[in-house]
Parts: sequence; structure tokens; C-alpha cells
Amino acid sequence: MAFFSSTTTHLPYFSSSSKTHFPINPFFSLKPQIQHFASVRATENGSGAAIAVEEKKDSEATEEDSLGNGAPVTGAVEELVVKFEDPKWVSGTWDLKQFQKGGATDWDAVIDAEVKRRKWLEDNPESSNNDFPVVFDTSVIPWWAWMKRFHLPEAELLNGRAAMVGFFMAYFVDSLTGVGLVDQMGNFFCKTLLFVAVAGVLLIRKNEDIDTLKKLIDETTFYDKQWQATWQDEKK
Amino acid sequence: MAAIAHPLHSLTVTFKTQNPSSIRSSPTSKLTISATSTTNKHFSGRSLTAAVIGGGPAGSSTAEALASGGVETYLFERSPTGAKPCGGAIPLCMLDEFSIPPDLIDRKVTHMKIISPSNLTVDFGKTLKSGEFISMLRREVLDSYLRSRAESKGVTLVKALVTNLEVPTSSNQPYIVHYTVDNRIKHLPVDVVVGADGANSRVAKSIHAGDYACAIAFQERIKLPEDKMEYYTNLAEMYVGDDVSPDFYAWVFPKCDHVAVGTGTVRSKRDIKQYQQGIRSRVLPKIAGGKVIKVEAHPIPEHPRPVRVRGRVALVGDAAGYVTKCSGEGIYFAAKSGRMCGEAIVRASEGGRKMIGENDLKREYLKQWDSKYITTFRFLDLLQHVFYGSNAAREALVELCGDEYVQRMTFESYLYKKLAKGNGWDDFKMVSSTIGSLIRCNIVGKEMGSIDPSVVAKFV
Repeated sequence: MAFFSSTTTHLPYFSSSSKTHFPINPFFSLKPQIQHFASVRATENGSGAAIAVEEKKDSEATEEDSLGNGAPVTGAVEELVVKFEDPKWVSGTWDLKQFQKGGATDWDAVIDAEVKRRKWLEDNPESSNNDFPVVFDTSVIPWWAWMKRFHLPEAELLNGRAAMVGFFMAYFVDSLTGVGLVDQMGNFFCKTLLFVAVAGVLLIRKNEDIDTLKKLIDETTFYDKQWQATWQDEKK
Repeated sequence: MAAIAHPLHSLTVTFKTQNPSSIRSSPTSKLTISATSTTNKHFSGRSLTAAVIGGGPAGSSTAEALASGGVETYLFERSPTGAKPCGGAIPLCMLDEFSIPPDLIDRKVTHMKIISPSNLTVDFGKTLKSGEFISMLRREVLDSYLRSRAESKGVTLVKALVTNLEVPTSSNQPYIVHYTVDNRIKHLPVDVVVGADGANSRVAKSIHAGDYACAIAFQERIKLPEDKMEYYTNLAEMYVGDDVSPDFYAWVFPKCDHVAVGTGTVRSKRDIKQYQQGIRSRVLPKIAGGKVIKVEAHPIPEHPRPVRVRGRVALVGDAAGYVTKCSGEGIYFAAKSGRMCGEAIVRASEGGRKMIGENDLKREYLKQWDSKYITTFRFLDLLQHVFYGSNAAREALVELCGDEYVQRMTFESYLYKKLAKGNGWDDFKMVSSTIGSLIRCNIVGKEMGSIDPSVVAKFV
């Protein structure tokens, strides 16, 4: 634990240095707290088992409540924090008047701006502001803007694929059985196949989706299995 | 307390009848000897003895229910004055059901803010009526009140550390509780044991109840300057985001004269300090100038243990794993499960006059508990899966929470632990806006993934 001997400039235990505002927390370098965290850190590094860490922490917490005393929480070096700033972002929301294009609001630009803002905040989390709370949420953007930009192109793609597959399958079945398209539709088996094809196209768009669906089913039933575990014992 | 000479030691009664149907029905299965309540012998001259290990809300409630029903109860607690690391929030129904005096309440939280990763802030609590609030208490205050009330009902309080529970080899022998008091090892034979000893339950280990996945909750208690504390007078905050927790939430809860700032996680326990740093940064302007007075951490069970009842031992509370997902609430369920278990034992033993068996515990306690609360637990698990998985889903969650109907439903279900009555049309609107929000936020999330980093950097 050599790095604990260094003091103010070096932050003890965070490996992710991508966050730009870490240096503003000098309180972590105060002496009394370091010892406490040093001993907990030693446990974390020494034992791989999560249970051991928790037990140690639990006993530490109950016995050593005098540590961590008087360590002030300061934000003195706030200038280093880079906040999200944009001329169009006014008091917690996007100023829609600045997104005008040809008399109407350019919703695509609003969506792009919001995407950039959220990406920025994901990489540089900011404290919430009491004076200008964020009030912009995605429901401000009307539903048809979302449809036009995201749903319609994909719908076109899927319908195109379904039509191509459908045409080929109808031709194939006709060439094998001689049953024309109208008569195919009257048959129950064909109708089932059609249903399966439509459902398949909707649910499985990439190969990865099959695994995702399997995992989803597992996850949904896992919690229930844990609850019922105590009753399984009876049947053994 | 000296070891009590157990009357059963001298008796030679083995009053367990074979269940005839089990022999005839399946020739390949082994003989099952089951004791049903109708064949258990009545005690003569003594009542059923029970040991409750652990004196928190679960243990005290069990002990109180047992003693009120006529069972000779011993409650073991190793540190009665300890302050448990805990959120300390209890719903309204607990105040009524467990007759908690109002002067124990430190704070009545009537507002909650939930803050998304992009700092979208939603005010929860617009729908609360004037008498509705979330009570914040100190665990040491609540626990000692419940324990002393149990004692007044006739429970014998034993301040000792239970070191081992000896499980008998034959079904008519008592369970032996080994405990240390004043550096002396003592033992107590009892008929029934209830394990209420928390996440690292020794009773659970003794009956091989199996393990469960645990989340770790880490919090720092910070004493704020007066003006900053005023902001949190009856307000609690919940933060969601990958920077504060990958699969749970971070919180700022007001306590008696300070705030508790903390976070939790299941899968990234090693990085808990990083997440704590994350929440401190997010709240920094609101806690600047405060002093850290305590740092604490505790495991929180994620799901029930594989075995909750074995022989004449039942698990309740955290030991059984009754903590809801999504909110991490455990105090009410601990107390309620303790009470239900105690009442089940009283019912099955007809007021402490008869011996009970595993089937009695399962029928009267487990079945009742599961049928009452499994839907609640399952629903909250579903919510956790859907809304805590990614930043996009968390944005959708916060968006949804802005809706008044959602707020009313949430609070009513939480405060009264009953499925709130909504009307069909509003439910349909809620479901469709849920789907809408999820779709929109996931679209934004996908776009975020494909964005060019150099474009974002222009904002600096």
C-alpha cells in the first residue's frame, strides 16, 4: 500500500482517470480516513471472495465509528469541473425557438442535440442544479418526429424483407404442390407458416437476437425459481 | 443462565406415525416418516420452547408473537445497543400494524426527488395526502423499542452471541443452542428455532439452507451545515446512473441530524468506492462543507435462500432473504415475516401445547407468506430488470415517474403494501406511456452509442 503514503495530489484508489473532475476531492487524502480505507482496501485486494469483503466492512463499520471523523466535504476547487454548456440549452431545457427551420421546429436537430448532451453527461457526470433543474425529457418531442426518423426506415426494411421472402416462398410452394397463392392462403398450415414468418421477422432481426431472447426468458423466470426453491426440497 | 434440563430428554416418546400412502404409492421412493399436527403429542406440564436468534425487527416480532401465544420464548441478541447500517425508512402500514409510537420517528419524508443520469429531476410526492409520509427512524431506536416490547410480553432476553446450533439426529430430540455470555459457553435445548440473524445467518448455515447472492450497500453519514440541511428537511433523493451504480441506485436520505449518502451494487462490489465517489460528485454542491461522521457497509440479500424451513427451524427477515428488489426494502418484510412465523408456530402448536413439525411450519408460515407477498417481490424484480439495466432505461424510468398516476400508484403500493386500485383506462395509458418512454429513450441510447466522440468534445 505504498501509494497511501503520498498525500494531497494523488487520489488513493480510483483507476478510472477519464473523469475530469476527480482532482476536486482533496478530502480523501486526509490522514485519519486514509488508514480506515487502507485497511479495507487491503482486504479487497487480498481476498477475492465478495463475502469476506462484506464481513470485514461490516465489522469495521461497527467498531470504528470514530474514524472518518471531522473529514470535511469540500468543493473548493470547483473551477476544474467542466459543465455542459450550449447556447441552445437554456435553464434546464432546450430552447425550441433556436431550432427553427423554415418556420417549424427542426425536431431532428433537437434529438441530435439531446443525444449529444446525454453522451456528454454520461462521460462527465454533473451534479444536479437546484436553480435550473433539468425539465427536458423525450416526451417533449412529438411522436411523429420519432416515427418519421426511426420507425419508418426500419419498417421499410423489414417489410421489404418480408415481401421478398413471402414472394419466394409462395413461388416455391406453388412449384412444388401446384397450389396457387389464393388457395395457399386458405390452408391452415400455410396460414400458420405465415404467422411464424411475420413473428420471426419482427423478433429476430439479427442472429444475436436469438441469444438475447433466450437470455431474456431465463432472466424472467430466474427470480421465480429462487422463490420456489424451498418447495423443491419437499419433492426430493 | 444455566443449561436448562430439557424434559424431553427423559421421555421416550417417539410419536411420529408413518404416513401409509407414501409406502403404497411409489415402491421406488424411500419411506417417508412425516409428523402431522394431528399426531403430535400434547405436552404435559410444560409449553413449547422456542429460541429466536437475532433481536432485530424480525426477531423481536417473532418473539412477541410467540410469547403472546403462550410459547416459552428466548430471544438472543449479541449487541443490543448496536446501530445497524440501514436506510431506516419504514412504510405507513408498519406504524399501524406494529403500533410504533410516533415519537420514535426522526423525520417524516414527504418529498422524494429522483434524478436521472442526464440530471432530469422529478418530484415525487405531489400526490401524497397530508397524513402520508415515509418515516425515517434510527435502527437502534426502533430495534430496542421492539425488543423491550417483546420482553414485556414475556420473552426472556439473552444478551449473548450464538456460536452454534446443534441439529438433532432424531426428530424427537431438541435443538441445542450454543451461546457465549461473559466468556462462558452455555447451551440451551429448545423445541423450535427461528433464525432472524440477518444476512450472515449462523442458523441458516447450521441447517444448510444454501447461499444467496448479496448486494452491498455502502453509505457515509455526513453532518451538513444548517442551510444545506434545511434542503433535506423532509426530502430524500434517489440517483440513478452508471456513474453511481450499475444495477441499483444511490441515495441521500435525511436522518435525525445528518444525511446518509450512499450507494449499492450487486455485481461490481469491488468498485463500490468508485460509485460512492460518483454519488458524492453528483451531490457535491448540496453537501459541500459537511463532515463525514461515519462510514458503514452492509450486505443485502437479493433473493430468498433455497431452503427457508428445515426440520423445526424457520428463517425470517434478512436471514431468509426477504428484501425486495428495486427499492431494497427489508425492515417491514422482516418484521412481518417474523410475526407471521411466530403466529404460525402458535397456531400449529395450539398455543404452545403441542409439538410441531416441518410440515406445520411450511403450511402455516411459508405458504401464507409466499401467497401473500410473492407477487410483490416478483413485480419489483421485473421493474429492476426493466429499468435498472442501462442508462437509457433509467432515463425512461425517471420520465415515467413524472406522471401523477404512476406516483400515486407507487406510493400507495409502498405505503400500504397493497396492490393499489387503479382504473383500467389509466392503467392502459400508463402501460403505453411506459412502452413509449422505453422506446424513445432506447433510441436516444442507441444514437448515443453511434455518436462520434470528436463531435461531443466540441462542447468543452
